[in-house]
Amino acid sequence: MAAKKTYLPRHVMVVDTNRCVGCWTCAVACKEINNEPLGFWWNRILTTAPNQSTTAKAPASDNIDVPWGTYPNLELAYLPVACQHCNDAPCVKVCPVQATFRRDDGTVLIDYDRCIGCRYCMAACPYGVRIFNWGDSSYAPGGVVGYGKEYRTGGRLVFTPARPKGVVEKCTFCVERIDAGELPFCVESCPLGARVFGDLNDPDSEVSQLVNVGGAEQLHPELGTDPNVYYLPVAKRVPGES
Amino acid sequence: MATSTAAIPVGATRTHRPILWWYTTLVALMAWGLAAWIYELHYGLASTGMRDVVSWGMYIFTFAFFIGLSAGGLIMASSAEVFGIKSLQPLSRLGVLSAAACVTVAALMIIPDLGRPARILNIFIHPNWSSPLVWDILIISLYFAFSVVDLYVLQRHAAEPARWRTTLRVLAYVGLPAAILLHSVTAWIFGLQIARTWWNTSLMAPLFVVSAILSGTALVTLLALAAERFGRVELAADTRKWLRGFIVVSLLVDLFFVAADYITVLWGNVPADRSALNLVLPGGPWSWLFWAEWIVGGAVPLALLLVPALKRMRGSLGLAAFLVIVGVLVFRIELVVIGFINPLTQYPPGNAVGTYNPATTSFQLIGRYHPTWVEYGIVVGLVALFATIVTVGYQRLHVMEPPRTNASQHAEPSGASLAAADEERTS
Repeated sequence: MAAKKTYLPRHVMVVDTNRCVGCWTCAVACKEINNEPLGFWWNRILTTAPNQSTTAKAPASDNIDVPWGTYPNLELAYLPVACQHCNDAPCVKVCPVQATFRRDDGTVLIDYDRCIGCRYCMAACPYGVRIFNWGDSSYAPGGVVGYGKEYRTGGRLVFTPARPKGVVEKCTFCVERIDAGELPFCVESCPLGARVFGDLNDPDSEVSQLVNVGGAEQLHPELGTDPNVYYLPVAKRVPGES
Repeated sequence: MATSTAAIPVGATRTHRPILWWYTTLVALMAWGLAAWIYELHYGLASTGMRDVVSWGMYIFTFAFFIGLSAGGLIMASSAEVFGIKSLQPLSRLGVLSAAACVTVAALMIIPDLGRPARILNIFIHPNWSSPLVWDILIISLYFAFSVVDLYVLQRHAAEPARWRTTLRVLAYVGLPAAILLHSVTAWIFGLQIARTWWNTSLMAPLFVVSAILSGTALVTLLALAAERFGRVELAADTRKWLRGFIVVSLLVDLFFVAADYITVLWGNVPADRSALNLVLPGGPWSWLFWAEWIVGGAVPLALLLVPALKRMRGSLGLAAFLVIVGVLVFRIELVVIGFINPLTQYPPGNAVGTYNPATTSFQLIGRYHPTWVEYGIVVGLVALFATIVTVGYQRLHVMEPPRTNASQHAEPSGASLAAADEERTS
């Protein structure tokens, strides 16, 4: 991370769902560092059946922590979902004004100054991770927490603590932190070390190992969106074994 | 936006009062729509019923609906020329007038849907050519320009047929593919999206084209019948026959496409596809859409147009045309709303609601959508704008008059400025 790279990095996150206990620390940390308005969650912990990370199943409930199946045959695993930072992102393809764009490191960002609020990206995203500022946003008491400044990359406004009305927002991979050589805040805050962040173009990095030999999977790979977020699926247990 | 009532040429005194009431109503509705839009600008899209799960609603399905309605007139006028259907030629100018009005309303319908309407020019400053929306805005602009030019040429042709004959023919050959392109591009806004299986079908563009021909023809039929009722024109029996035929054939093709899609999903039984269709099929929470589409907008109009006893009934053509339009509107609602309501990732607890409500969960898996008065207000206001354009156009351009000779060309025709009432349904 410290050495100057002579090639372009490709930023990738791997989530080890074996380690995730669904504590929502990453979601709350994300909400704080990014000053997300009330009701907004860039990062959410969905529940799923073990080993189902890339397979669709009928939904169970609107509520959190609802297990699969009928009592007493219940299963429960967690799947933290934020923007998947797709390399072939449907949101980037449909945005009529190029407000949503993919940076060379694979990070998909939104230019708050250019977005016209048509919400086509929300219709196009297969992961449902985008959030719209429907009206004037309200924030938790105590004012701005976390990263309290505007952040620009390539001259484009990709983060602002006070959200403008009528634009779309989502996870930025904590672009202001990774550009400064730090880790995204969800990675840093996870108490179980379930999240790993790094450069997939570096063959020696931990994410390269997990993706290339560790069996990490993308979410909905059949759609061909090629996300930069990978998941290590829960190892399915054989009944009778502990 | 409004036309002052003083500008209306006053014909027979008898008809003065109803037309005044008609215009007053339209102006009031448009003012109401404008007020609703100002309210929305102030409070943001939070004043609508849309939220993060169902993030498009009434504006978008009404937009798609009006784009569809605009087809009929132009396709009818162009095919009257291209295929030489003489009986439909008297309706050409009315059809193109309705096409221009519909496409205007559709284009305006997009603006209240934007979170940042002041930035709309970004579409021309920074266009992203891979976005179907950019292409749609381009083709809508061209289509609007084309229908205005076509209407002008049709007007001139009515006065001097010999001189404008060739231009009219050329325009007809351009108009037909242009109309088909408009509906295909609008369909691709939805049909190209891999995220939502309800939309992602190659059948979308053909389905849009045929439902556009269907609803557009039905609209022109209603307008022509209204002109017959309130104006001094009479539709020839042959014209009625052609209108009936157009509606029957396009309705059958439309229902065939929808059924083909249902069968593909039912037979394949892919869970994500089935979960969307199950919402609509009988027994599902949205089955009223199914019945409205197949019975109200399908079986009943077919019976009205085909069963000899019903066919002879007075008003059967008008009723059938109205029901067909209702059916196509229901199809648009189904397309947009079900597309969003069907769970996307299929994992609970789903999307953030986007609104902080301490009493409930801040997540939603199954979307809910109830349009608010703001959405109804703006849509009703724009429908009133459509009615205004058509009424003014009908009165000023005399689009239903038979071609006049040069001698009477500039004389005010005595009966032309009769009250033109267009259908008052604001569906």
